[in-house]
Amino acid sequence: MQRFAKCACTMAVVTLTVLAGCAPPAAKKFVIAFSQCNSAEPYRTAQNNIMRREITKYADCQLLIQDAQQDNARQIAQIENFITQKIDVLIVAPNEAAPITAPVKRAKDAEIKVVCLERNLVEPVYDVFVGADNVKIGEMAGQFVANYVATKGIADPIIVEMKGLLGTKPQEERHDGARKFIDPIPNVKVIEEVAGWIQNEALKRMETILQANPRIDVVYAHNDPMAIGCYWAAKNANRDKEMIFVGVDGLGGPDGGIKHVMDGRLACTFYYPTCAAEGLEAAVKLAHGETVPQTMILDPALITPENAAQWYKKATVE
Amino acid sequence: MIKQRLSQYGWLRPLATLVFVVILATAFSPWRAGETYPVFWQKANLANVLRQISDIGILAMGMTLVIISGGIDLSVGSLLALSCTVFAYIFTTVAAAHSPYSGVLAALAMTAGFGLVSGVVISKLRMQPFIVTLAAMIGARGLSKWLVSNQTIAVGYDARTAAVVNFIGQKAFVVPAFLVVTVVAFILLNNTRFGRYLYAVGGSEDCARLSGINVTWVKVRVYLFSGFIAGIAGVLYCCETHQGDPKAGMSYELDAIAAAVIGGTSLAGGKGSILGTVVGALALGILSNILGLKNVDENVQWMLKAVIILAAVWLQLLGKKKTA
Repeated sequence: MQRFAKCACTMAVVTLTVLAGCAPPAAKKFVIAFSQCNSAEPYRTAQNNIMRREITKYADCQLLIQDAQQDNARQIAQIENFITQKIDVLIVAPNEAAPITAPVKRAKDAEIKVVCLERNLVEPVYDVFVGADNVKIGEMAGQFVANYVATKGIADPIIVEMKGLLGTKPQEERHDGARKFIDPIPNVKVIEEVAGWIQNEALKRMETILQANPRIDVVYAHNDPMAIGCYWAAKNANRDKEMIFVGVDGLGGPDGGIKHVMDGRLACTFYYPTCAAEGLEAAVKLAHGETVPQTMILDPALITPENAAQWYKKATVE
Repeated sequence: MIKQRLSQYGWLRPLATLVFVVILATAFSPWRAGETYPVFWQKANLANVLRQISDIGILAMGMTLVIISGGIDLSVGSLLALSCTVFAYIFTTVAAAHSPYSGVLAALAMTAGFGLVSGVVISKLRMQPFIVTLAAMIGARGLSKWLVSNQTIAVGYDARTAAVVNFIGQKAFVVPAFLVVTVVAFILLNNTRFGRYLYAVGGSEDCARLSGINVTWVKVRVYLFSGFIAGIAGVLYCCETHQGDPKAGMSYELDAIAAAVIGGTSLAGGKGSILGTVVGALALGILSNILGLKNVDENVQWMLKAVIILAAVWLQLLGKKKTA
């Protein structure tokens, strides 16, 4: 009897917890579901926040967001659930192209409109692709560095390239784009390190680089958190004035890259479009049966201390 | 004769690993023209190494005691993240008008609470430590991400928080903090009844219980300790990186375990030392430092680390066979 009571109690607690976790959403005319690959990345948190802000503009649409936490299997299951729920539009930020293409195709077959965000699929099984160009952003960063070295008249420049996670597309493209302009600089020395997008890793790696190199002119990091990690390493060694720090992403908020540019820690950052507002707008149009161009590639932008305040307002969701 | 000596100084055994790694580092260190020391031996570089191993070193102290007691604590990496985010959150928002201590206290209370619960569940409900702390690891990670809605919190950029964050985050605070935790762990393990009980429980739980040791209470305390110092590591981590990051400390528990086993702690329980774990943490830290100074490819670094971990543990076994 006692054992039965214990069992019943446990099951009751579990059931209640699960129920509390999935309160039913209010019914609206159109349901737009966003399958996010990994909310833990600041860039993707920004996407979620901007979408939540933007959806309030459309009275007849409601937004569901699910986070796959960087797990293909979980994302597939979530998309399948969306299909079962008979949603109107699916916005998908694929965790990886190959495994996510098939479930998206199933959604399409179930007459759900699909907006693909930022990362492409193996086949174009979507109605709209909204993305940005990492090669271009790399090129802009490379140009900025080359210009800086030229205008400052630095001979034999020493440049640190702090790289994102190896084997990821943005890392490769931000590297390739930048090196097109950095490699031709006369007598340039580039020190490559990998910090896998992580601020603390970049800090550690940069400390070691500072030890091994008595002079450094420019730090180019593949994202802003790594640029800030490098900044703190140099600052702790009292060497932050000797070099400039260039980041990529240009997110809003008090811990985003734009704020660091405003405060003078980063020389500049490059806005990598979150694609969220544009993606949601396309989704709303699709829900209403309007036509939308199949591909939208959004432009990156240079953020310097001059225009940072303006960008901060635009990119920050309160 | 030599055999006797060796067994007498058995605690020196882990040092062999350290000597080996230091020789390696000295031999391969870059040496700039006109300088007296190779880069590796420069003061600033050694200070960097010490700071870099501090976070994992602190986690490894708790891990060592837990492993000696025959358990394992997989939750320490997540607890570091929990403490890191709770501290940053309380410090920048809730405690706006208060002192930073409320942030530190809240962070430590949270992680110690997790440790306490793990300890109680493991000892009272007799569930396996691996499973219980695995659950704690998942739960604490979820909690820290949920608390800050997946965002990172910037700390130490404004005048109010900068003073505290820069003070705690500097090498001259982090490294001594690591030292203090090490000394506390050393005293706990070697100079208290609790420490002797840990070895007894890890060696044979049944024997310990039959000899009248309150096994439950010993286990609760060891997980409480591990959780508490993971909280300390989290606050340090937050100040070092100027960021409350719920993704912090991913897979740090594995590095902490690696540090402990390189130092001769046996996963079977009942064997291990604090000195050994310090050596393990140092060996791992020096290794990544020297590979970084040489600018060795990241993937090659991982492969080399694998070899060194195996080699270090093998070295221990070798030493043991000879002296046994």
